[in-house]
Amino acid sequence: MASGEKRYLIVGASAAGMAAAEAIRSIDKSGPVTVFSDESDPPYFRPLIPFLISGKKEAADMALIGQGPYRGAGIDVRLNSKVESIDSRARTVELKSGEKVEFDRLLIATGSRPYVPPEIEGTGAEGVFTLRTLADARSAAGRVGRTTRAVMLGGGILNLKASFALLERGIKVTLIVQSPQVLSQLMEPGDAALIRDALNKAGLEIETGVSASRILSGSAGVRGVLLDDGREIVCETVCIGKGVRPNAAFADSESIHVDSGIVVDRFTASSAESVYAAGDVAVTVDPVTGGRIVTALWTNAVEMGRCAGLNMAGRPTAYGGTFGILNATQVAGVSFVSMGIVHTSGLDYETHVHESRGAYRKLVFSPDGKRLMGVLLLGDISRAGLYRFVIRERMPVEKIKSQIINHTLHYGHFLRSR
Amino acid sequence: MTEPREIFVRLDRCQGCHTCELACAVAHSKSKSLYGAMAEQPRPRHRVYVEAVHPNTPVPVLCRHCEDAPCMHACIAGAIGRNEEGAVITRADKCIGCWTCVMVCPYGVVGRQLEEHKAYRCDRCEGRETPACVAACPTKALVYRTVRDFSSDVRKTASTAMAGPQGG
Ligand SMILES: Cc1cc2nc3c(=O)[nH]c(=O)nc-3n(C[C@H](O)[C@H](O)[C@H](O)COP(=O)(O)OP(=O)(O)OC[C@H]3O[C@@H](n4cnc5c(N)ncnc54)[C@H](O)[C@@H]3O)c2cc1C
Repeated sequence: MASGEKRYLIVGASAAGMAAAEAIRSIDKSGPVTVFSDESDPPYFRPLIPFLISGKKEAADMALIGQGPYRGAGIDVRLNSKVESIDSRARTVELKSGEKVEFDRLLIATGSRPYVPPEIEGTGAEGVFTLRTLADARSAAGRVGRTTRAVMLGGGILNLKASFALLERGIKVTLIVQSPQVLSQLMEPGDAALIRDALNKAGLEIETGVSASRILSGSAGVRGVLLDDGREIVCETVCIGKGVRPNAAFADSESIHVDSGIVVDRFTASSAESVYAAGDVAVTVDPVTGGRIVTALWTNAVEMGRCAGLNMAGRPTAYGGTFGILNATQVAGVSFVSMGIVHTSGLDYETHVHESRGAYRKLVFSPDGKRLMGVLLLGDISRAGLYRFVIRERMPVEKIKSQIINHTLHYGHFLRSR
Repeated sequence: MTEPREIFVRLDRCQGCHTCELACAVAHSKSKSLYGAMAEQPRPRHRVYVEAVHPNTPVPVLCRHCEDAPCMHACIAGAIGRNEEGAVITRADKCIGCWTCVMVCPYGVVGRQLEEHKAYRCDRCEGRETPACVAACPTKALVYRTVRDFSSDVRKTASTAMAGPQGG
């Protein structure tokens, strides 16, 4: 290695870590870039793993390197390499094997792990799974043949995706939702009627307002779930989708400030010198509310990771943050986009709701009506990116407000309203 | 490497005739002919949009193939990449129809083909010498040039009303 070259270490070879590695390479062509992953699969597009369960894709179809912006050139990815600890003063990390590796710049991109509520008994049984890694998806897929019914705990988007993967395999699926409605993180109960209908029609059985208190199992693993209202559902597989928590515990908390996630400044730097963080593990800022948030978004992980990579390689780049909610998907034939502030009940926002056959939209403006704060679109999501732009840039909306409310906004309005 | 060309819009010349939309749809049909395209299922889609701004100004809008393409970085399936000419391309075989690209495109130019559950957008007519919309435009409101040629052109004609490369 030539003297003066920076040695880059990245912990975590997923969205944030690989985006950072590419960004470093885009300016520093020679400093060695090493990425450690505790997984045994080469980097992959994590959101695709439900397709392994449905059987629509194989692991190789999900590979990250070689697709989209990921070229992988000059990036050394080391699999099965768990980083146990960081010594930010000595600028070393220690691997599980005992090996110590020095760095000049370190990125923590360890993402998050599924949260398993401790109050549910019996979650250690065979046939209980969470869906985060390809390995998780393989074990879930491996149980399909022995499963007539699956019970999904949690009504979020991840569990809906997992549910459809199982439905496609001919398995009966019951979704247990503690909240009064599905997708409560992304919309309010009153907004979700269209989706709820579509889910029911697609054959998903949904129980709201209940939760699981115990998972019942025998010698063949899971045999049922006991609900807190006393009912018992017979099933052979349970999937827990109750949100995620940042993998921040291994960071050396004496010098790295951790507050649920790793706290970073505007330039994605942690409180320890030369140590950065990005993605699900990092605490970022919501430009709409100004509040500190931890996200669980691929889009944020990539953007923040790229930004961290540029900073590490010596090009100061501020990160503008992300909305806590920035989700697009299609479930049961219904497209939807949810972004910014969409939970408005009891709050002072100016909201405009429009409902028609097969479509629903809710536009959320600031109480004074001058700024767009959030958008929920169901059915017709066309040109949704324009709203993201308007929200993020805090554009004054006076001249385009009727177009926003009527969902007729197009790029031409920006050119002509200046 | 030759400098890549881009599609530029000269707003002052657009008459709002929508010929570009038609040519685009035909170029992206299986048959590549107007009559064939009209009969095809799913209906061939155009990827240039002549929008109207009050009171009566037509504005053609199309993918800018942004330098830092937000759609490409946001794609959760690795379906969006850049080809050798610098155009941002959505690969239908990789697209899972999650619409993340629709959610992040600041120009609103990514469409959804619901029949096949795929996102689509301008590909600058990969493989054609001149994109179909440019070739078809009767007023030359759409031009296919390098950035350098286009800006020197603009300087010469001192045209003011135009939507240049709209940036990222
Ligand atoms: C099924 C599914 C669907 C999803 N769909 C969407 C979607 O549609 N849109 C969206 O925006 N987001 C989606 N997400 C969320 C998205 O995948 C995550 O937000 C994103 O992967 C976060 O990227 P990251 O790089 O921060 O962390 P991760 O992807 O979690 O990667 C972190 C990596 O670091 C590894 N690691 C952890 N600790 C260590 C250690 N000590 N040493 C070495 N390696 C370590 C982990 O094993 C992992 O490989 C989905 C997630 C799932 C599971």
